[in-house]
Amino acid sequence: MAAIPLLFVAYSSFQLSPERWIGLWDTRLPDLLANTVWLGFVVAVGCLVLGVLSAWLIARRQFAGRTLAIWLMVLPLTIPTYVFAYIYTSLLSDEGWLGLAWQAIFGDALAIPDIYTGWGAAFILSLAGFSYVFLLARTSLLQSSPCMEEAARMQGATPLEVFWRVQLPLLRPALAAALAVVVLHVLSDFGAVSMLQYQTFTLSIYMQMEGRMDNQAAAGLSLVLVVMSLMFLVLERFFRNRQRYFSSSRARKFQARKASGRELVVIWACLGLIALFAFILPLVWVLHWSWQAWSADLIGAEFWDYTRNSLVLGFVAATFTVVVALPVALYHSRIRSWLSTCYLHLSSIGFVLPGPVVALGVITFVLTQMPLLYGGLAVLLMALVVRFLPLAVQSQEAALQQLTPSIEQAGRVLGAGPLENLWRVTLPMIRGGMVTAWVLVFIDVIKELPATLILRPIGYDTLPVRIWIESSEEMLELAAPAALMLILGTLPALWIMMKAERMR
Amino acid sequence: MKMLKKLGVALLGVMMAMPVAQASDGELVVYSGRSDKFVKPVIKEFTKETGIKVVLHSAKSTALLNKLKLEGERTQADLYLSNDAGNLQLGSQMGLFQPLPKNVVDVIDPKLRAEDDTWVGLSARARVLVANTGVDTSFVKSVFDLADPRLKDRIAVTHSGNGSFIAGVTVYMEAAGIEKTRDWLEGVKKNANGRTFNKHSKVVNAVASGKRSVGLVNHYYIYRHLDKKPDAAIKVIVPDQADGEMGVAWNVAGIAISKYTRKSAAAVKFAEYLVSEKGQKLFAEMNREYPAREGVPSSSVIPAADTMRASTVEMITLGKQRNTTIDLLEAVGMP
Repeated sequence: MAAIPLLFVAYSSFQLSPERWIGLWDTRLPDLLANTVWLGFVVAVGCLVLGVLSAWLIARRQFAGRTLAIWLMVLPLTIPTYVFAYIYTSLLSDEGWLGLAWQAIFGDALAIPDIYTGWGAAFILSLAGFSYVFLLARTSLLQSSPCMEEAARMQGATPLEVFWRVQLPLLRPALAAALAVVVLHVLSDFGAVSMLQYQTFTLSIYMQMEGRMDNQAAAGLSLVLVVMSLMFLVLERFFRNRQRYFSSSRARKFQARKASGRELVVIWACLGLIALFAFILPLVWVLHWSWQAWSADLIGAEFWDYTRNSLVLGFVAATFTVVVALPVALYHSRIRSWLSTCYLHLSSIGFVLPGPVVALGVITFVLTQMPLLYGGLAVLLMALVVRFLPLAVQSQEAALQQLTPSIEQAGRVLGAGPLENLWRVTLPMIRGGMVTAWVLVFIDVIKELPATLILRPIGYDTLPVRIWIESSEEMLELAAPAALMLILGTLPALWIMMKAERMR
Repeated sequence: MKMLKKLGVALLGVMMAMPVAQASDGELVVYSGRSDKFVKPVIKEFTKETGIKVVLHSAKSTALLNKLKLEGERTQADLYLSNDAGNLQLGSQMGLFQPLPKNVVDVIDPKLRAEDDTWVGLSARARVLVANTGVDTSFVKSVFDLADPRLKDRIAVTHSGNGSFIAGVTVYMEAAGIEKTRDWLEGVKKNANGRTFNKHSKVVNAVASGKRSVGLVNHYYIYRHLDKKPDAAIKVIVPDQADGEMGVAWNVAGIAISKYTRKSAAAVKFAEYLVSEKGQKLFAEMNREYPAREGVPSSSVIPAADTMRASTVEMITLGKQRNTTIDLLEAVGMP
């Protein structure tokens, strides 16, 4: 099923004549390649710095307000990239808060930074994505046994050396997994780049489809994008495959040291600055405009319908995706073969392909193969499962990899059949990973815009759809409450995930 | 495991309670590329008068046209409403629409509808220049002056993927020829210096704040800005009005009935309402556009239609020539 959009893309690109390919190459491809790779790289570095820094500070020091800090680092996940971009274009305009603050500080000598650039897009996407790195790095730091670090210290290594030579290498599988998620988000991001007019593959594909209704050229570009992403994924797998760490169950838990007064100031300065730009400022902005809407009595009953639609969609799609992803993750983490790797990569396609392309592929498939399904929620669900499958596979597989095979083997030795073993041993052990997978997919589904816009059933408007409709007409006071509901709606899911983390 | 079970139960509950998303039989489904808030009040009045309910399915005009094409006879859409004549004409060429009855077609200005009656324009807009009153722009009389080297770094235009921008360029290409238009685009590209805007409102903002001197927009964006800031330092320049010049470029929002609708009678009623004098006034006035029905007055805020000389390029050209325009934009490498 995951291959449907790919088949569609491949089929459409074969219809593209060689001349058209040359035409594409001459006019667009080199710039698009350069822009996309550059953006992916800068955002990866940005997320790495923000994510590892915050994770290390929080995992290794005990300080006042630590729980609050954890939440502040995760909450940016609730804000979609197009909302981020929208908020920052408005904040940095002449009359925006940041624009005014900038002018007050620097006067006219220094122009307000232009957000409609590659750096602007990288800034937005880093803020929107670093939480993935934070989450996985923190889990990994908490689970790593203190023995190795203590051993290194005894051998005379300075704390910095311990960080570079022990902790960072131990973090590598987690970081690779997190960066894969971040970079794939960047490659398939449509919201921020379209808002900021930064030409990446996804934006160009969208323009081809929208402007000239040229689905073949769009498919051709998508194919290039897929090849590029697969190359990246293979590279990532290569880094991850060579190392596997199994923590022994008897290791004692890490005791975080209490932070001294000076450390406390530094920690909160760092985390506070990150939180200010990644969550607090956007939240205040959204609250401000929502209040305007509320006091102008603009929020009607249909608003609750949009919220309900979003939540139902997120709930159903996330559950389906996690269930579908489990066999893929199990298969690959236990049996390494050419076929299982192939299968795994195939399932990542949906994440790489831009939403509109996935949507077109699914429409075409459903209309020709099972027309009776058309028109309902099923089509949209299918597209969302295809799109977010890799996210679920990644986190469940990460959990499976940390599960020592000997536990499963013990189960088998004690006489459990394969299914019973799965149900009574494996699944309970990876529960945390499954919940994480569910929440990550849930969050992405309720933030998803391009595929939902095309495939939603008639009249089934979700919050992102409303945000898009209102903001394309510059109705800030109507877009803001929808964004606020989106943030609020994601909170319970995040809470479940954090609870599951603590249970581990 | 307990948690998983709870999850399962909750899931079942949600599935049961899931709203039936299909539009029920009595409702008309309109694929709409026009902003909700300009369509909903008209629909409200229509439902009040006829009792027919209308469901709006909003997205980008082109995305909806794509969807309509893919869906073919399985479409749930009864009508297609677009903000761009180009899309309507393309849909008509793809055979997605059915002819509208004579009483709907005949009242609309012949320049603003399809040759084969498959779509009619509802409201028209002019592609004008907005200028900052604080700087000397007296030499700007035509859209072609946007390429004037004196305006280096001083013009504001939307990016070239914008539907209104493409439609405008199509008109200039038809009226002034492809060579002149290409040179003009090169000049505009140079003057914009890589920086375009993603929204018309931001073009007006940039001109009002003095960051740019002249911008190219649809007329109503200027009045929308003046609503919020009545003393903004901007003025309208209606371009290309002198004798022998091409006149100001137009575009229309319009409606078509899907070929595969099963509710033709109701769909026709809706179209009739939209072209009625009352419907026309409602539809156009809200966005301060020009009603497409002859004899219906436009909003008093905007200059009357007969005070402007309009380009003679027909609306159907916007669809027929769109791909040529996009090819040209790509060849020039417009941002």
